[in-house]
Amino acid sequence: MTGRPSSAGIPGAVTRGLGWALALLLPVYGWIVYQAPIDSVQGIMQKILYVHPPLAYGAYLGFVVTAIAGGLFLWRGAERHDQLAVAGAEVGTLFCTLMLVTGPIWARGAWGPGNWWVWDARLTLTLLLWFVYLAYLLLRSFTEGDERTARFASIYGIVGVVLIPLNYWIIDLVGGRAQHPENIERGSLGEGMGMPFLLGNLTLFFAFAYLLALRWETAILQSLADAAGDGPADHR
Amino acid sequence: MSRLRLSGSGVEKRFGRITALHGIDFEIAPGESVAILGANGAGKSTWLRLLAGLAKPSAGRFVAEGSEGGGPAAPLSRERLRGRIGYVGHATLLHAELSARENLDFAARLHDRRPTRAEQDALFAELGLAEFAERRVGALSRGTAQRVSIARSLVHDPDLLLLDEPFTGLDEISAERLSHQLARLRRQGRALVVVTHDPQRAVELADRALLLHRGRLQEPGPFEAAALRDRLLQLAREDVAGARA
Amino acid sequence: MNVALALLWKDLLCEWRSRDRVVAMIVFSILVVVVFQFAWPDRSDEQTLALAPGVLWVIYLFAALLGIGRTFTAELENDAMTALALAPGTRGWIFAGKAAASLVLIGGVQALTAAVFALFFRVDLAPAIGALALVVGLADVAICSVGTLFSAMSVRSRFREVLLPVLLIPSLIPVLAAAVQASAAVIGGEKLTLAAVQPLIVIAGIYAVLGFLLFDPVLDD
Repeated sequence: MTGRPSSAGIPGAVTRGLGWALALLLPVYGWIVYQAPIDSVQGIMQKILYVHPPLAYGAYLGFVVTAIAGGLFLWRGAERHDQLAVAGAEVGTLFCTLMLVTGPIWARGAWGPGNWWVWDARLTLTLLLWFVYLAYLLLRSFTEGDERTARFASIYGIVGVVLIPLNYWIIDLVGGRAQHPENIERGSLGEGMGMPFLLGNLTLFFAFAYLLALRWETAILQSLADAAGDGPADHR
Repeated sequence: MSRLRLSGSGVEKRFGRITALHGIDFEIAPGESVAILGANGAGKSTWLRLLAGLAKPSAGRFVAEGSEGGGPAAPLSRERLRGRIGYVGHATLLHAELSARENLDFAARLHDRRPTRAEQDALFAELGLAEFAERRVGALSRGTAQRVSIARSLVHDPDLLLLDEPFTGLDEISAERLSHQLARLRRQGRALVVVTHDPQRAVELADRALLLHRGRLQEPGPFEAAALRDRLLQLAREDVAGARA
Repeated sequence: MNVALALLWKDLLCEWRSRDRVVAMIVFSILVVVVFQFAWPDRSDEQTLALAPGVLWVIYLFAALLGIGRTFTAELENDAMTALALAPGTRGWIFAGKAAASLVLIGGVQALTAAVFALFFRVDLAPAIGALALVVGLADVAICSVGTLFSAMSVRSRFREVLLPVLLIPSLIPVLAAAVQASAAVIGGEKLTLAAVQPLIVIAGIYAVLGFLLFDPVLDD
């Protein structure tokens, strides 16, 4: 049983704090990436390293947020949890899309011409995740009635988040070609690349958190506006 | 007698921007038959579906209390509530491919019951359906299908029968016949909650009326057909006047 | 549990009288088998054998989509969906009954498709029949589980014919990947090992449990 739509999401101070942190980090991050040494093999292309892997945080975290918020919605029925779920899905879609766009650019640079797309395990997984996001957003827009939309979307979000490890496991098992480096540890990075990589992770994590908070707040405000604009003529 | 008490406080139901019920308070005592009266679009069906355990309120509390196995009355979960009510909707809830008897059998099994053939026949006879038992539901007339639908809703011997505009689409004779059958069910001790826009039917089938207007409960006034009709018209006129102002 | 059996009985009886799902699936499947002949006209028997698992699974997947899409359409007539929603107790059993009925129908169509495929292209599936049935059956549990769950949602949405495949296919990719690999091994004459069917057992189990648990809120208004 829900209450009236309330602004009980997160305090505005948190959103503003995240915004300020991001505003401070972005120029530093830009400068450090610019200053970072140019890779002797891949050339300038390698600088995608400071963008592409850190995007993964947002892509995966987005869906985890969606699933947890969806579970909370099914349990408690509070509208704000559903609004958080939407925020997670939309921001996650953005990060996932950027990952899919930056990936092939880097791939062609690193793995040679003609390698825009390779059915590599992690690439396949990201593509599937993107389709799950797409399905989630389509489900929301094709379902009628806010409460039913929220319920259906929550269910799909939970199935979707189970799909991520499941797909990972199966793709690994049936042996997709592994082109991605096993792991990018600081130790394997070249001289002077550790710091920009770390900063990239930090900045994009903050970008994810800030966008998520902002999108959540927008959704809450939107439903407040909808409720306020509910004229006495709308009944059934 | 029905052993179900349904009550709500501040029950609200929203569908996005549309609010169908604006925080209503009500109590339906055990054994009481009630008519939910109101114009089209007043929120009557939404309310009935909440009572049937088919939906949750967007806000407020709805509580169904009943005793189980002779114990003291306690709040029932929606799962349990659904087992204690019979519901007759706008549509018949029947499968056109199946015969009346097969529909009845299926409905009973959904409630984990296996009525004997004799019990089924008794139910059919009570609703004047004896000759239609083996007919395919898709081939029955609207009035007959409606009675099969009522047989379906009674198959698990519910405490309370919820009916959503049961006379819609019936000719006068069928409607009159149905009304008599429902009145007989009530005399046999089955409590009814009837959603209707017709004050005459409300008076025939219930002990009192709950008047719903634009998602809000209104004072119904005296429980007589003519008075209730005047009250409904008065509310409609206030709307028109309000819209002009 | 009794509710699941009641639904299984009702769905199969209704299908027996109308035959609308099974006929659609059979016609579709056999047409695709014919299309396959024209898509690869000149091929050796070895190539046919190599392509067999892939072709069969493409047919199975889309035929299943066709059948699953109609799981709840019959319930829309006369609002019989409300009758299901009114059933007391755990709604997971309604899910189980619906999924079981789909499993029987889809499994039957798949067996027929495999027979027609074997006949048309002289692929000897007979030695692998038991192992293949096990692989397909496990995959079907997974397909019918998520299929029933998503179908109950999409049937009450706009553009349901578009929405169902979009919802369903990403979750069927792991099923397909595991099933094709196991089927290829079996058709290629290998003995079926536990390791080969283990992924299918895990996925089928996870999907069945998810469907059972998540079905309750789907049936609310």
